[in-house]
Amino acid sequence: MTKFIVRRVFWTIPVILVVILLTFGLMRQIKGNPFRTSERAIPAEIQRNLDRKFGLDKPWYEQYARYVKNVATFDLGPSLVLRNRDVNDIVKEHFPRSLELGGLAFLFALVFGIPLGAVSALKANSWLDYAAMFFSNVGFAIPSFLVATLFIYFFVLQFDFGFPTSGWTGWESKVLPVVALGLAPMAAFARLVRGTMLETLQQDYIRTARAKGLRWRRVISLHVLRNSLIPVVTAAGPTLGFLITGSFVIEQIFAIPGVGRYYVTAVQARDYSVVMGLTVLLAVIVIVANLVVDILYGILDPRTRDVRT
Amino acid sequence: MRIKTLWLLLAMLVASLALVAAGCGGDDDDGGDAAGTGATQEEEGGAEAAEQVITVNWGTEPPSLDPGLASDTTSSNILQNIMDPLVKLDDDLNPVANLAESWEVSEDGKTVTLTLREDGQWTNGDPVTAEDYEWSWKRTISPELAADYAYQFYGIEGAQEYNGCESNCAAMADKVGVNAVDDRTLEITLTTPQPWFIQQLAHHSFLAVHRPTVEQFKDKWTEAANIVTNGPFQLESWQHNSRIDLVKWDEWRDADSVKLTRVNGRMITDGTTAVQAFEAGEIDVTGGLPTEEIPRLKETEDYQQYPGLGTYYYGFNVDNITDVNQRRAMSLAIDRQSIIDNVAQADQLPATGFTPKGMPGFEELTPDSPWLPETADLEQAKTLMDQVQNPKKDITLLLNDSPGHREIAVAIQDAWKELGLSVTIKQQEWAQFLEFIGPPPDKSIDVFRLGWIGDYVDAMNFLELWTSDSGNNSTNFKNEEYDGLVEEARATEDNADRYAIYGQLEDILHGEDGQMPVMPIYWYTYVHLERPTVQDTYNLNLLDQIDLTKVVVTEE
Repeated sequence: MTKFIVRRVFWTIPVILVVILLTFGLMRQIKGNPFRTSERAIPAEIQRNLDRKFGLDKPWYEQYARYVKNVATFDLGPSLVLRNRDVNDIVKEHFPRSLELGGLAFLFALVFGIPLGAVSALKANSWLDYAAMFFSNVGFAIPSFLVATLFIYFFVLQFDFGFPTSGWTGWESKVLPVVALGLAPMAAFARLVRGTMLETLQQDYIRTARAKGLRWRRVISLHVLRNSLIPVVTAAGPTLGFLITGSFVIEQIFAIPGVGRYYVTAVQARDYSVVMGLTVLLAVIVIVANLVVDILYGILDPRTRDVRT
Repeated sequence: MRIKTLWLLLAMLVASLALVAAGCGGDDDDGGDAAGTGATQEEEGGAEAAEQVITVNWGTEPPSLDPGLASDTTSSNILQNIMDPLVKLDDDLNPVANLAESWEVSEDGKTVTLTLREDGQWTNGDPVTAEDYEWSWKRTISPELAADYAYQFYGIEGAQEYNGCESNCAAMADKVGVNAVDDRTLEITLTTPQPWFIQQLAHHSFLAVHRPTVEQFKDKWTEAANIVTNGPFQLESWQHNSRIDLVKWDEWRDADSVKLTRVNGRMITDGTTAVQAFEAGEIDVTGGLPTEEIPRLKETEDYQQYPGLGTYYYGFNVDNITDVNQRRAMSLAIDRQSIIDNVAQADQLPATGFTPKGMPGFEELTPDSPWLPETADLEQAKTLMDQVQNPKKDITLLLNDSPGHREIAVAIQDAWKELGLSVTIKQQEWAQFLEFIGPPPDKSIDVFRLGWIGDYVDAMNFLELWTSDSGNNSTNFKNEEYDGLVEEARATEDNADRYAIYGQLEDILHGEDGQMPVMPIYWYTYVHLERPTVQDTYNLNLLDQIDLTKVVVTEE
C-alpha cells in the first residue's frame, strides 16, 4: 500500500509539468492582451514597460522554464491584472472558501443522496421510489445558476427565512449556496446508489444470504450496501474535485470570495499567472482526490489492492 | 467487523471533511453590516437621519487602490473619496479648487503653477506637500512601475520620453516638467498649452501617494493595514472580492462638512443578485442593473438615472465599405429612438454626433448631423443606397459578447435588410474582440460595435480618436485635414476658438459632407437603484463619479 501511494505521489510531478505546459500553450494560443482591459489603446512605450516587468518579452521556453522553477519553490508569481496581488495571496485567502463551499456541498450530496437512493432501491417502483427519482432527476437537470437564482427569489425575497442574498459571513449565508451547489451531485449519487443496489439485490450471493436465514437488515447493511458503495466511491473523487473547483457560477451569483470567481475573470482578462497558478492548484486537487479514491477502493475491495501494488 | 470498518471509514471521511470545512471558514467578521442596511428611524421626511451610514455595492473588486496603477471606475471612485484630489469637478464639470487652493497659467499656456492648501494632511500626521506630488507623478511615469495610465501624464514635458526610456532613465526623470518649488508650490511644464489640464487634474492618476508608506510596504502598501491616505474617508477594511468598508476620517481638514460616518461596501458582481440584495434591504445603492430588469425597476421609487459622458457607436471599416453613401444609408436606416425604447431601455439619448451631450462647448459643436436621425429615414437611405456603385452586400458585424449588444445588433441587422444587405453577426469575448478590431481591424470585419467613455472633460478626448495614427481608430479612416485640425485644436487655448475647430471636426465626421467612418447610436446613461433616504444627495456626475462627502442620509 505504501509503495502504491509513494509511486502515485511521484507520478504527480510529470502530470503537473504537462498541465503547466498545456495551459501555458493554450493561454497563449487564444488572442488577447492582459494589459488592455478596456477599449483604450495602450501606447507602445507602456506596452513595452509592462511586457518587460512581467517577463513577457522573453521567448516562450524561457518563460516556461522560469515558471516551472517558481512553481517548484511554491511561488506562483504576481497577477498581471490585480496589480497589488500575488497568486499566492489569492490562493491563501480565497481557496479555503472554495474548499469549504465544495466540501460542504459534497457532504450534503453524500448525506442526502445515498439514503435517498437506498430507499428508492428498496422500495423500487413504489410511489416513494417515483417521488425520490422525480426529485433527483429534476435536481440533476436544472442548472445550478437557475437553482441559485430561484433560491434567492423564494427563500430570501418571497419568504424570509433569515438568509442573506449573498456573501459568506455566517452559517445563514452558507445554506443556500451549499444546497444549490450540492443538489446536482446529490441527485447523481441517489441515482447511482439506486441503480447499483437494484443490481446487487439480484445477485446470487444475496439470495444465498437470505436463503441461509440472515436477517434482511443484516443482508442490506453487510452485503448490499457495501457492494453498492464501490461505484459511489469511484464517482466521489472526481465529484469532490469538481465541487471544489467548479463552483464559480455559484460563487459569482452568491458573491462568495472563492478562487472560482478569480479563475473565470482571470481567463477573460488573460491574467496568465493567475490562470496558471489556479490550474496547477486544481490539478493537484483532482490528483489528490483520485488518490484518496484509489486508497478507499483498496480498503473496500481487497482484490483491487493486490492488482495495484 | 468488516461492516464496522466500512462505516468507520465513511464516518472518518465525513468528519474530516467537516473539520476541513469548519477550519477554513468563519473568519469573515461582519463589519457593522446591520447598521448599514438602511436602518433609519421613522420621523418626518427629509430630516437628517441620526445614523449616517450607508451600504453600497462596489460591483467588482477594484484591481488596484494605487492611484498610479488604478485604471477602472470602481478603483477610481474609492480613491477619489479616500484621497484628497487637487481639484474637483462641479455639476457642469468646471474645475473647483480642492487641495489646490489656486492655480495660475502662464501667458503661453505652457506653465501651470498650483498652490496647495496648508492644511492638507496624511492620516499618519505628515503634511501633504508639493514634493509628494512630484514624487508620486514621477513614480507613475517611471518605466519600472509600468503603469497603464502613465499616458495621462504625456501632456507634461519629458513625461513620454521618461516613460519610454531605455537607458539613462534617472537623468530623464529629472527632466520631467514637474517641479516642487517649495512645500506648497507645484510647477508643471506642459508640452503644449492644454486648456483642459486643470480639469484633467481631477483624474485619480493625479492623486498623491505617501512616499514612506509606498517605500516600506512596496506592492502591499494599499492593503487596509498599511495604507496611508489623505482624504475625507479612510480605508477601514478590504476583504478581497468581498467587501471594502470606509469610515469617516475625523482629522480631515474639512471633516465638519462630511455627514456620512461609514460607508460599507459589498462586491456583488452578478447584476441579478445585486438587485435582489437591494430588494432584501441589504444594500442601499447599486449600479449596473441588468437590462431585462430595467422596465420593472423603472416603476419603483428607487430607480435613478444619470446622463453619462459616453458614446455607443458602430465603426465602419472604410477599406471594406468604401462608398460614403453606403455608410450614410446604413446610418439613416436605423431607428435610434426605437433601439433605445425597446432594446437598451435606459432612456439613453439618440446620438446626433460623436461628442456626447454635456460636454463643455457642446452647443457650439452643432453636431446635428443629417445622417444621424432619431428615427429611421428609410426612403432617403434607399435612395442613397441606389447611388452606390459597388455596394458591399455581405456585411460582417463584430460584437463582444457582453449582455445587450447582440439584441441591438439584431435590430440593426433587420434595418439593414431593408437596404438589401445581408448581415452576419459575429460575437467574441472581450479580450479576443479587442485583438480583432486592432487597429488595424481584421480584414474580415466590415462593421464593429464599441463605446467610448470620457477620461477627461474636453471634446478632444473624443475627437482625437479619429486621427490617422490614433491607437483607437479601428476604421482605417485617414484624413489629413482632420489630423491637421486636431493638431490645431491642441494648440488653441481659447475655449470658443477651440470649440469652433471641434465643430469642424464633427462636420468632417458626420456633417453634410461627412465621411461617416463611425455611426454613433446613443449617448450613455448610468442607471442605479438608490434608497429614497440617500437619493437626494447620492449623485453621479457625467464621468460616473460619486462624491461621498456630499451624501446625507435623511429620515424616511
